Amino acid sequence: MTPADSDLTRKERREQARAERKAQEEAHAAQSAQRKRLIQLGGVAGVVVVIIAIILIATGSGGSKNAPAPKSAAAKTASSEVISLLQGIPQSTITLGNPNAPVTIQYFGDLECPFCKQFTLSALPTIIKKYVRTGKAKIEYHSMETATREKETFQTQQVAALAAGKQNRMWDFVELFYHEQGEEDSGYVTESYLQGLAAQIPGLSLSQWSENRNNPAYPSQVLADAQAANQNGFTGTPSFMIGKTGGTLQKLENPSLTDASSFEPAIEKLLKG
Amino acid sequence: MSQRTLRIVLIVLTALGLALASYLTYVHYANLRPVCTSGGSCFKVQTSTYSKLAGVPVALMGLLGYVAIMISLLVRESENTRFATLVLTIGGFGFSAYLTYRELFSIHAVCEECATSAGLMTIMMLLAIWRFLRGGPEVYDSQPLATGEGAQAAHVSSAS
Repeated sequence: MTPADSDLTRKERREQARAERKAQEEAHAAQSAQRKRLIQLGGVAGVVVVIIAIILIATGSGGSKNAPAPKSAAAKTASSEVISLLQGIPQSTITLGNPNAPVTIQYFGDLECPFCKQFTLSALPTIIKKYVRTGKAKIEYHSMETATREKETFQTQQVAALAAGKQNRMWDFVELFYHEQGEEDSGYVTESYLQGLAAQIPGLSLSQWSENRNNPAYPSQVLADAQAANQNGFTGTPSFMIGKTGGTLQKLENPSLTDASSFEPAIEKLLKG
Repeated sequence: MSQRTLRIVLIVLTALGLALASYLTYVHYANLRPVCTSGGSCFKVQTSTYSKLAGVPVALMGLLGYVAIMISLLVRESENTRFATLVLTIGGFGFSAYLTYRELFSIHAVCEECATSAGLMTIMMLLAIWRFLRGGPEVYDSQPLATGEGAQAAHVSSAS
């Protein structure tokens, strides 16, 4: 080995040692950077978890508890009117009245239909007091899409009513809907609106109602009503079928929406016959 | 996957989320019903009391979130912008998780658009975490995204 070779080796060793030191420093720096990033990641995740927890607490722990309470004076008046009208009358799913009543009336309506509101608030209370409360007639509520602009909304509101019927309070829901009906095509039927109606029904379990709204049988029932309305040849709402319970029902032609006496001849005839 | 590819994937996912959030915000303010194949589920979610937070529609919050993420991805990349993307996507994921919880346990209905957005945000968050933890050479950081392979070549030549 010449002196030159020896020098070269020493130089190479020095460079090698320098390179190793540099590599170690770089590895150390990379480790520190990685540790810093992990700490930052943990910090961000922690802060987000805290913020979400605060939002959860601030917005309440459950949907049904947050249903808008009926605050307005109009809603309170509607609620007390409906309670006094229906109190003590048996209900079973879509039916109001004694299931064995001799006369059956089928009411086909759209919950957003203003003519149905007119009928429900004007002529219907007299019919209920005179014939349903006394056990002479029972009324079934069926749906028929007319005024509701969107099919999805129509189904949602109707299913909400049918779900109240699962707790035998569909008529409370329907009556309240008509009493508090908004302006046509204004988009007032929202989830909050439906929850608000449900919250006004005494004795209705909101959690059970919410669950029942997912019952797949109800959309089929809405479809069956639509088919029945079509078969009956209805062109608008409200429309009615009337007949002896268990027998064939007939279409009731052009009854007054405001005067219950236009229903009376047909009902009295069935009661006597 | 290179940092550049990761960034492009994130930009594409953010663009999808942005389109979705824009649609939901438009639907909200135009008082329309979102396209929905699951009956009344979207209606229930979109019109529930949880569709707003402190009076602000959550669809608008989502839109603003996606805009912020897009900005953090389009500016010149650095450790800080990667951190910003990370913060925004983790925040977005947390908010999506909150909304999904409300859909499942409070509203009892799932909105398809919201579920898609939540899925996008989850993928984006995972990619953003990966991107942030991997870090990146500062030489790359100074190259604009549009220069493409030229930037990569410059990076290789300056590093060698």
